[in-house]
Amino acid sequence: MRTKKNPITRAALYLFVFVVCVIILYPYFVMFTTAAKSNDEMYAIGGSLLPSVWNWSVFVEIWQDAPVFQYLMNSLIVAGGATLLAILCGIPAAYALSRMRFKGKGIFMGAVIMSQMFSPVVLLVGIYRLMTNMGLTNSLLGLVLLNAAFNQAFAIWLLRGTFTSISSEMEQAAKIDGCGTVQALIRVLLPVAAPGIVTTLIFVFINAWNEYTIALTLISSDTLKPITVGINVFYGFNFIKWQHLFATSIFATIPVIILFLCIEKHLVSGLTSGGVKG
Amino acid sequence: MKESTKLRTNPEQKAEPSTPNRNQAAPPKNHASLKRRVEPYIWLLPSIVMMGVLILIPIITVFQTSFSEISKAGVFKGFNGVDNYLWIFKQAAFRTTLKNTVVWTVVVVGLSTIIGIVLGLVLNEKFHGRKIVRAIVVFPWATALIIQSVVWKYIINADYGALNNLLYNLGIIKSYVNWTATPQAFFAWECFVGILVTVPFVTFCVLSGLQSIDTSLYEAADVDGASFWDRLFRVTLPLLMPSLTVSTVLNIIYVFNSFPIVWTISKGDPADQTHTLVTYLYKLSFTNQRVGEAAAVSVVGFVILAFCASIYMVMTLRAEKEE
Repeated sequence: MRTKKNPITRAALYLFVFVVCVIILYPYFVMFTTAAKSNDEMYAIGGSLLPSVWNWSVFVEIWQDAPVFQYLMNSLIVAGGATLLAILCGIPAAYALSRMRFKGKGIFMGAVIMSQMFSPVVLLVGIYRLMTNMGLTNSLLGLVLLNAAFNQAFAIWLLRGTFTSISSEMEQAAKIDGCGTVQALIRVLLPVAAPGIVTTLIFVFINAWNEYTIALTLISSDTLKPITVGINVFYGFNFIKWQHLFATSIFATIPVIILFLCIEKHLVSGLTSGGVKG
Repeated sequence: MKESTKLRTNPEQKAEPSTPNRNQAAPPKNHASLKRRVEPYIWLLPSIVMMGVLILIPIITVFQTSFSEISKAGVFKGFNGVDNYLWIFKQAAFRTTLKNTVVWTVVVVGLSTIIGIVLGLVLNEKFHGRKIVRAIVVFPWATALIIQSVVWKYIINADYGALNNLLYNLGIIKSYVNWTATPQAFFAWECFVGILVTVPFVTFCVLSGLQSIDTSLYEAADVDGASFWDRLFRVTLPLLMPSLTVSTVLNIIYVFNSFPIVWTISKGDPADQTHTLVTYLYKLSFTNQRVGEAAAVSVVGFVILAFCASIYMVMTLRAEKEE
């Protein structure tokens, strides 16, 4: 939307943006400065904003005090596995939804949307029972499967939007040349749809990386905890090691923010196209 | 889409090496049409199996459990009709929880949508540092909810929290303030954090919607001498509606189901005054071992959300018919 720029609107615009940015960045500032404060300084009333002496050692200590590296690896396995599974199942489904006409398409789309409604938290009672029966409580495979399933709807939604926005002419040409449907999909459509697929990949990865509730409920072994649950080691009932908690949180957050910034551009184009039209 | 379907029915289409049942010589017409009819479902199969097993089965279990008596040890003791439902509705805490859940969902989704629209409109303008601001706006979205929640729990701590520290250093307060003196204050902070983490999604949906608006519409509006507000309410917002519908419906679902913020910041305390539906059912199920009652709370949640989802579905189906 274009507005004619007069100095007052411009100033108001900058002020608004500035305030929003300050509020957003404040928690990260707190995490970073608190992590580097000594205990005395952190609990002191009226202490200074910044640490008087920056205590960098906490960023080293966390790796020794708790299996933080193991937590991060678990998160990587869960998020990576879930992403792969969600995409491998989502691509054919999205392809069928964007290129084929069949009975029950509306019902399937409706079911996909409805499935979004059932978050893992509301289903925890049932999920816990199912995973117990399958012997998958306290297992990374269980987390992979659940994260893939609960991100499936979103993956299909994003992929379908991408596929629908690409003309099917090239695939038709390939089919006339003797390509099968699967070949046309792999050789023609997927390369063109790569940006949308990467967006979906990263999106599912981030959701699975940040997932907390399922892992909290299902995982009991310390060595199998993903990072979101693992940071609770610094967060006991009667003690909280804030510095360690925040230092670990920073390590858990940075990779995700980088990934997110990679897809920021595609996010804008891909986000609503899938749900609205097609 | 229509053309590709036609092409697939074309009897001259060559055999597809990748699908074995297609290799039989000279497909008779009804064979081809049978394949064409079955094929889409094969493509959907992996998805259907995965969601069927991992989402549908738990849904069924939750419904069954909500009508069952489950011992504290988790043993099924037979169906008990609507006893669980009667029990939860007798709890004062559950009624508070229902009220909180509605307030939580309406306030967080409502305010996030308004702030998100404004922010989206601003970020669509060209100004210095726009790219940086857009990157910053992504931050709360990319950070795990549990981490955001823990940081804010620290920030609002009455004894040594960062907010007290900041305001004291700025000279705004003379002594530390207890920011969470009442359950309402606690809950208000939780809503604030909820808004903070929800705004980015709305903002990007708005940006996405703005991108698809034809700029010539604004030129036309300018020719007609439209004011800023005319353009906002007559051009921009109506054309943003599809994007806003998507973001609002999804946000209602996500916010309604959001667990880590409330669980981390207040755990529903003091005295179960700050629960939302999901933290209440978690506490019932995993702290109090009342699984049947927790399942009943889940079902109440489904019913509320199903109402919202059905609105969305009706709108989607109507839109598809119009095409």
